[in-house]
Amino acid sequence: MMTAPLQDALDKDTLISVRGVKKFFPIYEGWKRREVATIKAVDDISFDIRKGETFGLVGESGSGKSSIARLILRAYDLTAGEILFRRESGEVVDITRLGDRDMRSIRREMQMIFQDPYSSLNPRMRLLDLVGEPLLIHGMGTPAEIKDRVAELLGLVGLRPEYVMRYPHAFSGGQRQRIGIARALALNPSFIAADEAVSALDVSVAAQNINLMQDLQEKLGLTYLFITHDLGMVEHISDRVGVMYLGRLMEVGPTDAMFEKPLHPYTEALLAAVPQPDPRGNRARKRVPLKGEIADAMNVPSGCPFHPRCPYADEACRKETPELRTVASGRQVRCHYAETLDLVGVSG
Amino acid sequence: MQSMNKASQMPMPSERLLELDNVGVHFPTRDGLVRAVNGVSYHVNRGEVLGIVGESGSGKSVTARSIMRLQPRSAINAHGSIRFRRGNGQEVRISDLDWQGREMRDIRGGEIGMVFQEPMTALSPVHTIGTQIMRTVMLHREVSKAEARNQAIELLTRVQMPRPNDIVDRYPHHLSGGMRQRAMIALALSCDPTLLIADEPTTALDVTTEAQILELLKSLQQELGMAIVFITHNFGVVADIADRVAVMYLGRVVETGTVDEIFYEPKHPYTQALLQSIPRLGRSHGSRLRTIAGVVPDPYNVPTGCSFHPRCLHGVAGICDSALPDDVQFASGQRARCHFAGQIVPAAEFA
Repeated sequence: MMTAPLQDALDKDTLISVRGVKKFFPIYEGWKRREVATIKAVDDISFDIRKGETFGLVGESGSGKSSIARLILRAYDLTAGEILFRRESGEVVDITRLGDRDMRSIRREMQMIFQDPYSSLNPRMRLLDLVGEPLLIHGMGTPAEIKDRVAELLGLVGLRPEYVMRYPHAFSGGQRQRIGIARALALNPSFIAADEAVSALDVSVAAQNINLMQDLQEKLGLTYLFITHDLGMVEHISDRVGVMYLGRLMEVGPTDAMFEKPLHPYTEALLAAVPQPDPRGNRARKRVPLKGEIADAMNVPSGCPFHPRCPYADEACRKETPELRTVASGRQVRCHYAETLDLVGVSG
Repeated sequence: MQSMNKASQMPMPSERLLELDNVGVHFPTRDGLVRAVNGVSYHVNRGEVLGIVGESGSGKSVTARSIMRLQPRSAINAHGSIRFRRGNGQEVRISDLDWQGREMRDIRGGEIGMVFQEPMTALSPVHTIGTQIMRTVMLHREVSKAEARNQAIELLTRVQMPRPNDIVDRYPHHLSGGMRQRAMIALALSCDPTLLIADEPTTALDVTTEAQILELLKSLQQELGMAIVFITHNFGVVADIADRVAVMYLGRVVETGTVDEIFYEPKHPYTQALLQSIPRLGRSHGSRLRTIAGVVPDPYNVPTGCSFHPRCLHGVAGICDSALPDDVQFASGQRARCHFAGQIVPAAEFA
């Protein structure tokens, strides 16, 4: 399965490279299940995730950010494109072309943390079974070894190892999320996709879990794909960020640079929409909310998908679809006027 | 406690619209008595926006529902009074009314409107938006069906609903989340309430839609001069919309003050800690978030004394774990329920 060209296709420090990925969902109607439309959930997305970094993905609901995580873990098969992954052995594989058996061994190296800590844990399984299940499936160790490893993992995420015989209902939302993290860590993965991992938690608990995730990253050398709609959180945790809108990546770049001076009007609008815990600041900056709502994914506007809501759009935006292109200082943006617009970000 | 009860005998000041005094709502459960609301006092003046913030389980929604007298049957209104000034200037004790009596039904929907968090479950799925608004209008006002329909369209226009003439005949499932929330606001405004209770109205929405709804509520509030009780767990939202803020923890209001006081001079350690645990835009990333140790205790075992003491950085054994702190009032009107209110300086801002 290993081919030489793939080996060279990836930079030394790149862990995952998503290239031209598309995922279309057909919509069927009637008793004949006739295909009446397609939803372009992910449309021509390309980005790289570097080893050891946290790559944030932000966007509104329906923008396709969760679909990307599921494509990378191959919970979905994609419609087009390739996803390259550098294995711990150094070997580079295109995970979209792997068979089930090869994919299973890759999944040891990539894991996921889910949003809802209530529905993602089986209520009838004890922590021992929940956290130990990945080890069992991959045949890693005797029951006694698995038990030791589970206790170790619980300690790692800040839960008491004595809890192994308890069921998830005995834990709070924040603790359940930690159980999910322990389960994801069981196989020693190098990559973890966290899909809205703290969105369901209260602020004080979310802060604890974010700190935990950062500690684990440092300790275990993890690479994160951090998906969220919370821009404050993404700024806090991410090294680089991708902004999605209607299945397309509108802008990719280093977090600090992008938040200080966005290149895409949609990024600017998102940043401006976040209410800040700063009453004086809010009064000082007059917010002009974005008009309209995110378009129907079945009916993506022509040209730039953002043009009906964009305050800077003109004729060209209605007609021509901008490409994701690299502009100054290694940042990428999908806008015709990225160089000429003078957009406002947030400053400290 | 005794002095508070005396206060609730005095007539409310003329600008006062709503006053809660030592309200307690309890729920008997299999595992014990849950004191979901355990002595909450706050007030709302005419035309002001009171923000109520707190984590889940702090009792903010239960309190709001007891103002509307929309409580589960198992709820026990253990103590306290809720007073409301009606449109004719008369003061009524909502807490003494029969929840399904004539007067309460006039007030509910007629003078106090409510917007709920999840519009899809709060709106009826089998009636059009127009029908739902018309029913409320016809219940409270003597108008013909045709007039009610016109009012419904006018209300939808007022909440900046696109194509109100078309939407009026649509069902909730035809609308997007933001449009449903607009429809619910239209419904709540249908009888020109003097008080609007908004319970997490933007929590389920995307940021850009949230910003639209917040701007809408602010402009409606200025146009109609109504007061709003805005319940949220999001400090950014409360900073944006509120004039005054009440912070709740485990069934009690731990701090109240103007929005600037709460955000720039928080006196209660809980408020201070919460404000420091939110990541803010424009801060350098990579720094660690401050956290509050432990978790919100479960409601069956509320800690003795100050209920925040096991998680508090400044807790003093022998004081905080034994005596319930008083509601300390400062010269500016700010209040904090802490033994050491005014003596605690927030830990240095994280850079």
